[in-house]
Amino acid sequence: MAGLAKIRELRLDIPKEAKNLAERMLKDLENSKRPYLEAVKTSLDNSEYNAKVGYLTPGDKVVRTELNVSSVQKLARVVFMLEILLRNLDIGSVNTKRELYYICKGLIKGNSRYKPLDFDSQDESDSIIDFIGDMLEVYREELNCFANDRGGQTYSQQLLVTETMPDGTKANVDLSTLGTSPFQPKNKPQSLKLKAKKKIDFCLVVESEGTAGTLQAMGFTKRNNCILMGAQGVPSNGVRGWCKLIENQLDVPMYFFGDLDAYTMQNIFRTLKAGSAASLIRNGDFSAPNVRFLGVLPSDVKKYDLPHYNVKESDPQEARALKKAKDALENDPFFRDKRNKNLSDILRWLIKEKIRCEQQSYFSVDPRDPIKTEKIILEKIKRGDYV
Amino acid sequence: MSKITKSSTAEYFAKNLQQVGFSSPLKAVLTTLKEAVDNSLDACEEHGILPDLDIEVTKVGNGSTKNTDLVRIVVEDNGPGIDPDNIAKVFGEYLASSKFGRGQCSRGQQGIGISAATTWAQMTNARGVQVISKTKNMRKAISAQVDVDIKTNTGVVKNKEMIDWKNKNTGVRVEFLMDGRIQLNGDGGLQTYIEGTALLNPHVTMKFKLGDLDWQKSDRVSNDSPDIPEATLPHPHTFKLGEFITHATLYGKISVSKFLKTGFSRVSDQSISDFVKAGMPKSLVEKPITSLSEEDFKKVFQAVQATQLMAPSTKSVLTVGEDSLSKSINRLGKVDFFSVVTRKPTICDFKPVVVEVALARFIDRGNEDTPVQLLRFANRVPLQFDKSGCAITWAIESVNWKSYGLSQPKESLPQGPYVFAVSIVSPFIKFKNASKETIDASEELVEEIRRALMQAGQKLSRHIKHEMKEADLERKLAHIEQFGPILVEKLVHLAGANDARRKKAEEGLKKILGRDSEVAVSQLEEAQSKLAEQKKKEAKKMGISLDEDVDRSDGGTASDEDDAEATKTKKSTKKQKK
Repeated sequence: MAGLAKIRELRLDIPKEAKNLAERMLKDLENSKRPYLEAVKTSLDNSEYNAKVGYLTPGDKVVRTELNVSSVQKLARVVFMLEILLRNLDIGSVNTKRELYYICKGLIKGNSRYKPLDFDSQDESDSIIDFIGDMLEVYREELNCFANDRGGQTYSQQLLVTETMPDGTKANVDLSTLGTSPFQPKNKPQSLKLKAKKKIDFCLVVESEGTAGTLQAMGFTKRNNCILMGAQGVPSNGVRGWCKLIENQLDVPMYFFGDLDAYTMQNIFRTLKAGSAASLIRNGDFSAPNVRFLGVLPSDVKKYDLPHYNVKESDPQEARALKKAKDALENDPFFRDKRNKNLSDILRWLIKEKIRCEQQSYFSVDPRDPIKTEKIILEKIKRGDYV
Repeated sequence: MSKITKSSTAEYFAKNLQQVGFSSPLKAVLTTLKEAVDNSLDACEEHGILPDLDIEVTKVGNGSTKNTDLVRIVVEDNGPGIDPDNIAKVFGEYLASSKFGRGQCSRGQQGIGISAATTWAQMTNARGVQVISKTKNMRKAISAQVDVDIKTNTGVVKNKEMIDWKNKNTGVRVEFLMDGRIQLNGDGGLQTYIEGTALLNPHVTMKFKLGDLDWQKSDRVSNDSPDIPEATLPHPHTFKLGEFITHATLYGKISVSKFLKTGFSRVSDQSISDFVKAGMPKSLVEKPITSLSEEDFKKVFQAVQATQLMAPSTKSVLTVGEDSLSKSINRLGKVDFFSVVTRKPTICDFKPVVVEVALARFIDRGNEDTPVQLLRFANRVPLQFDKSGCAITWAIESVNWKSYGLSQPKESLPQGPYVFAVSIVSPFIKFKNASKETIDASEELVEEIRRALMQAGQKLSRHIKHEMKEADLERKLAHIEQFGPILVEKLVHLAGANDARRKKAEEGLKKILGRDSEVAVSQLEEAQSKLAEQKKKEAKKMGISLDEDVDRSDGGTASDEDDAEATKTKKSTKKQKK
C-alpha cells in the first residue's frame, strides 16, 4: 500500500535514509562522540526568492542539534517519533498529526520507561514531526502524515478529474455533474490528473469561501468557461498543491480575489504564490507562482468608491499586521524582489494610507444588481487590471 | 446679627480631634502611643542618647463611651528629660513646638500630637496625662498631672510633687488613661506599629507589653545614634505669597536683601541682582522689610519666583542606610532573603527627599496567596491608615512585579510572604492630613519611589532567578538519566544493531553526558559557594555570626550610601517639645 499518495518522484528511500541516520548516530555514541541531527533552517532569514522558479527556496543555513544535557530530550523524542513514522510507512498506515500525538501517548502509557518523553500538548509533538520532515527533506505526506485540509472547494463546467486510487483503480469525476456541490481535492491533489472538456479561460481563487459560493449560485461557472475556487482564508497545503496542479496541467491564467489588507497580501496571497518560510522544502510543489492579484486593488477603492475602514492601531491584531508589513518590505525576499514591486507597492500603500477594504465591498457598487461583482471581476480580467 | 466669637487653638482641636488621628477608639490608642514614642525618640536623638523604651498598652476596664475600653498607655524613655517649667507647654498647649518649620527631619513637626492625646484622655476619662520627668540637673524627679485648658490653650499642671524615681538619671514617663480599643495585628495594629518602629530605628531597644500578650523585647541592632542633619532653610520656590509675608515677620527690621539671603536657602548676592533683572524694584533691595507694603511684597515674591535658582541642598535629609536596614529586618522574623536600597537624596517638588526600600521574604510570616505586608514610613514614623491614597502604595502598584518573579494581580500589591518597607525622609513631607497617615502623591515623588522599588526588585529577582537556575541545573541532570537510555534503545532498534553495540553506545553516552553532568555539578557547586559567600557577607552586615540561623540573604550589595552626603549632628539648644 506504500505509494498511497505519491506527491513527487522521490529519489530518497525514507526507511533506508532513517537507518543510515541511526547508524551514524550510534557509531558516534560508540566512539564517545556527540551525535547530531541537522535540518534545513525554515525561517525567513534562510529564505531566498528565486524569480525563475517563482517561489521561496531554502538558503544554506541548517539547524544543528548536538547531543548535550539540553538537547537529549529532543533527540530522544525525534528517534521515538521516527520509529512510529517508519512503522506507518512499512504497513501503509496513515495518520493526522493529532492522531500521532495520541499514538505517542498510548505508547508512553504502555511503557513506564518512556514516561519522560511524554508530550504535554500537541504543539510539542507537531514540532518533532516537522523537524523530521525538514531533517530528511521530505514532505510529511511522504511520511504518511496527512492534514485534514480545508478549503479548495472547486466549481467548473469544463473540468474533469481522474483520481488514481491506492489500489491502482481510477475514479473519474466530471465537475459539471456535481450539481451545486463543490469538488474538493482535500489532502491529495498530487494523485489527481486534470483534463478540460473545453478550453478553460481562467481560474479564479476567491479568498472568502462564502463569496465563491455566492458567485457560483448566481451562475458564474455557467456563463464563463472557468474554474472557480474558494480558498477559505490562508491556503492550506491542499489548496496550494491543487493550484499548483491546475497551473502545471492546464496552463490557464489564475487570479486571486481577496481583501485589500496587509494580512491578505502577506499571509494569504504570498503563501499561495510563492509558499512560506515555514515550508521552505516543499514550496516547489505547494505554490502557484503564476497567480495574479486581481483585487481588491488600491485603485479599485477610488474607482468604484468602495466602502473601507481605517486600520485601528489600537487593535493589537491590526497593529501587528502593519508592523509585519513594514518588516516584510525590509526582510521578505519575495517583496524585496523587483519583479514583485507592484505587490510591494500595495503593501507600502497600505502602510501609508492605513485603510483596509474587503472583497465583499464590490457588492456595494450596484446593490440592486446581484451579478455586479461578477461583472467587475470579468471587466478587470478583460482590461488586464490586476497585479 | 449673630455674635462672632473667637475660639482658641485648643478649642478648635478639641472639637476636631478626628483631624489629628483620633477619629475612632482604635486610632486614638495607636495615635497616642505613636506621639509619645515619636517625642521620646526625637529627644533621645537630639541628645545623642541610645533610646531604651518601655511601652505598655493594656486594657484596665470599661470605657465611659459606648463600645470602648479604658486603656492605659505608658511610655517611658531614658531621654534627656523635660525641664519642669516646660512640662505644661509640652503636654497641654497646642502648637508649642521646638520643631515647627525648622526644616529638620524630625518625626514631630507641628506640636499638635501629644497635646491632642492629652485632650482625648481628658475628654474621655476626665484626666489629662500623668508625667514623670527628670533632667540631669534635677536631684529628684517631678511627677505631675497635666491637663489642657481648652478655653485658653494653656497647659495646667496639677498634683505636682517631687519623687525618687528608681535609679534613673534622666528620662520621661507618660501615662494616659483613655477610652479606646486595642488592636494588635493588621494594618492599624499595635504590633505592626512596634515592628515598623523597630525596623526603621535600628538603634532602639524596646520592651513592650501589648494587650494580653506577655512582655516582649526587641534589642537594638546598632549602637550608633543617627546623625541628625542640620536644619535647612526653606527654598523660596516652595513658598506661597502668604507664607512668604509671614516668614518675613520672623526676621524683624532687616533689609529685603538680607532677609532673602538669611531666610532662605540658595539665595546669593548674584541671585539678588537676578531678582532685580526679573522685575524686583531696585529701590526695595535695601529697604527694611518691616516697611514693605503688601504690594511691595508681591513684587519681590513674583521676581523671586520668576528667577532660576539652584535646587535645594539635599544635606538635610537623613537615611537609615542599607547596612542598618539589613540588620533591622531580622527583628521582624525569620528572613529567607531580602534586598535593601537607599537612594541618593534627590529633589522632588523642590524639597529634598530620600527614599529607602527594604523588601524581604520571610519563612515564618505571610503566605503565597496574600498580598505582601506593606510598611510605610514618613520620617521614620510608621503610617498605618488609608494606604490606598498614599504615594507609596501608588508607586508599588505601578511597578510590574511579575518581571521580578513575584505574582501580582492587576493594579494591586504583589503577593507572597514578603514585607515591603518603604521609607520617605524629608524635612518637608507633604501629608494629606494633619494626622500624618498618607503622603500626598505628586508625580515626581511617586516616580522617585518607583525607581527605588525597581532597584530593590532587581536585586530581589537576582536571588529568585538564582533559585530558578539551581532548579534548572537539577532538571538537566535528571534529563540525562531519563532520556539517555531511551535514545540508545531507539537508535539500536532503528539501525538493527546487536547487543554488543548497544552496550558500547551506552558506555559512550555515559562518557559524553558524564562530562556534561560534571560541568552541571560544578556549576551548581560554584553557585552554592557564591551563595555561601554572600550569606557570610550579609550575616556580617546584619551583625550576627554565621552559626546563628541566618538562612539565605541577599541584597544590599552596591550601596548608594557612600554617595550620600555627609551629615552632621546638631545639638539643638532650643527647648524641645517633649
